[in-house]
Amino acid sequence: MRLAAAELVESREILPGQWLQAYHAPGLASGSRAGQFVHVRPGDFSGMILRRPFSLNTTDAATGIVTIHFRVIGRGTDWFTRLRPGDSIDLLGPLGRPFEVDPRSQHLLLIAGGLGMAGVRMLADEAIRDGRRVTLLFGAASAREVYPSTLLPDEVEYIVATDDGSLGHHGYVTDLVPEYEAWADQAFACGPQPMLAALARIAAGRRDRLGVAKLGRKRGAGKTDPVGSPAARRKAFLQVSMEQNMGCAVGACLGCVVMSTSGTPQRVCREGPVFAAEEIAWDDGW
Amino acid sequence: MKKKRSALTASPRVADQKYPTAARRASSATAGRPVAEVSVPSVRPTAVAGGSVDLSVDLGHGLVLPNPILVASGTFGYGIEYGEVVDVDRLGGICCKGTTLKARIGNPPPRVTETPAGMLNSIGLQNPGVDAVIQKYAETWASWRVPVIVNVAGESVHDYVEVARRLDGVPGVAAIELNISCPNVGAGGLQFAIDAGAAAEVTAAVRRATDLPLLVKLSPNVADIRPIARAIEDAGADALTAINTLSGIALAPGRGRPMLGNIYGGLSGPAVKPVALRIVYEAAQAVRIPVIGIGGVTELADVLDFLAVGAVAVQVGTAIFADPTLPVRVVDELAEACGRRGLTSYRDLIGSALPKKAGRPSSKGVEYRP
Repeated sequence: MRLAAAELVESREILPGQWLQAYHAPGLASGSRAGQFVHVRPGDFSGMILRRPFSLNTTDAATGIVTIHFRVIGRGTDWFTRLRPGDSIDLLGPLGRPFEVDPRSQHLLLIAGGLGMAGVRMLADEAIRDGRRVTLLFGAASAREVYPSTLLPDEVEYIVATDDGSLGHHGYVTDLVPEYEAWADQAFACGPQPMLAALARIAAGRRDRLGVAKLGRKRGAGKTDPVGSPAARRKAFLQVSMEQNMGCAVGACLGCVVMSTSGTPQRVCREGPVFAAEEIAWDDGW
Repeated sequence: MKKKRSALTASPRVADQKYPTAARRASSATAGRPVAEVSVPSVRPTAVAGGSVDLSVDLGHGLVLPNPILVASGTFGYGIEYGEVVDVDRLGGICCKGTTLKARIGNPPPRVTETPAGMLNSIGLQNPGVDAVIQKYAETWASWRVPVIVNVAGESVHDYVEVARRLDGVPGVAAIELNISCPNVGAGGLQFAIDAGAAAEVTAAVRRATDLPLLVKLSPNVADIRPIARAIEDAGADALTAINTLSGIALAPGRGRPMLGNIYGGLSGPAVKPVALRIVYEAAQAVRIPVIGIGGVTELADVLDFLAVGAVAVQVGTAIFADPTLPVRVVDELAEACGRRGLTSYRDLIGSALPKKAGRPSSKGVEYRP
């Protein structure tokens, strides 16, 4: 984690109200992993006193470029859209814990709902770099909000669902998951909380149907990794990237918690934003 | 047609794979370094006229801060969270997250939201309990030069006393800040801060239980702060902290419900600064013990404002979220500002805006009065 100035290189409205911005931030570009995020300070200090968290959408160590993808939802995000190339912003990052891919996983299923694309986008790059097969299921309200395939690596198999049926599958993206769950070694998701909860139910059922961990595999038998540790998350079929209103983003203010199955609130900024699906109390434990 | 490669579409190319190993090595080499690793802006003093200015402040009962800039409870965790971004040993003091006798899971989310020139929070005193706090952090605190002041909260006088007793004599714990003014918990918290008798009772009980320097944090959610401040002083507090957050509400998008899971939250940030100045102004004239100002400090000018209305030290809170390097930078700026004015001690700035007939407020702790 460090503070760094980053210069805007390019900024585009790729979808209605959704922006993709590239910043030159070499330290972040080389030292970050998929799933981590940055906390960005709006330069307009007349009333906006909090930083804004953004998933690292892509990073490129060679050019020192990191991109963020966001929707304009308020004054802060609106301020970012008015930046011009050459303008500088203040980044704190990389923050949070990344996705943990099991080294043995060859087939990765990525599931993104709407702006959740920003949460899993970088994992597609990492997985393809490491020689893995990636299928990306994407859900949006309608065709005009579908993430452009030109912004994805060519190697990704890209399947789309829209709520109104204007493109691809007519229905929720979660409807597509059962077709792939036998193929996938691991799944990684980011999107609205109901979508993640539905995926967690599917994943729990899959463990009962397809899980082989207890059917005679010797390696690691009897050894249980502490819940939430990288090793435990690596073994989870489904990892989710969570969202919550955030204050400090370093674990100091305890503002961004989600409830865990152990009954202890977990900080999205510190223990997350990526969690194994079974760590989260989806029915809300408060 | 070949796709145009722009900064936005570019994925890491295979050729980049030469770099990650080196990059990882570089990042792991810096991981354990405790000192500032900040690219911008530089936090080192520029060694101007400020070097010879006395910034130390004696709050009484043996609590001497190296400088009058503290970080406020709830905004700086237990001092370790900002890691290499902030050199904690350059701070005047750290007030840690509110600590209770038993572990608390806090309030349901959302817990924070931005409001005009401020933020609402309703954490609900989530903390692992005093024993876990001591076990996890006291050793680290003891290794720092910066005094760590443990913020203590509770639901009953017994709770406060028991927490204070357990903190008493623990190496690394420099003082106690009694949080009798948390607006976000049902029982306890605020009820002690709005009544002079109750405030005096809990202060006196904790005073009897510990030899640690005792700060008491005042609530702005009262009609008149002066009788409460006097009662707390008479009960044996060494210093006052003013103010805690103001109770407020924000609405969720669509206005179908309040924004925060707890409905109510505490307002902090620049929006509360005029209220904080007013309360420090009143409290500093009402008591002889030092008053520490807090509320909406975002730059040196705010620190000077609080000193002018009688605060001997200042806590920085919400502004840390936007700029974690702010408190340390303000320390340097304060020294420079004093140097420019030819002052040998920042204490000459205290109370300049108070009524002249009121006499100067206390800038030094009073000896313990049994």
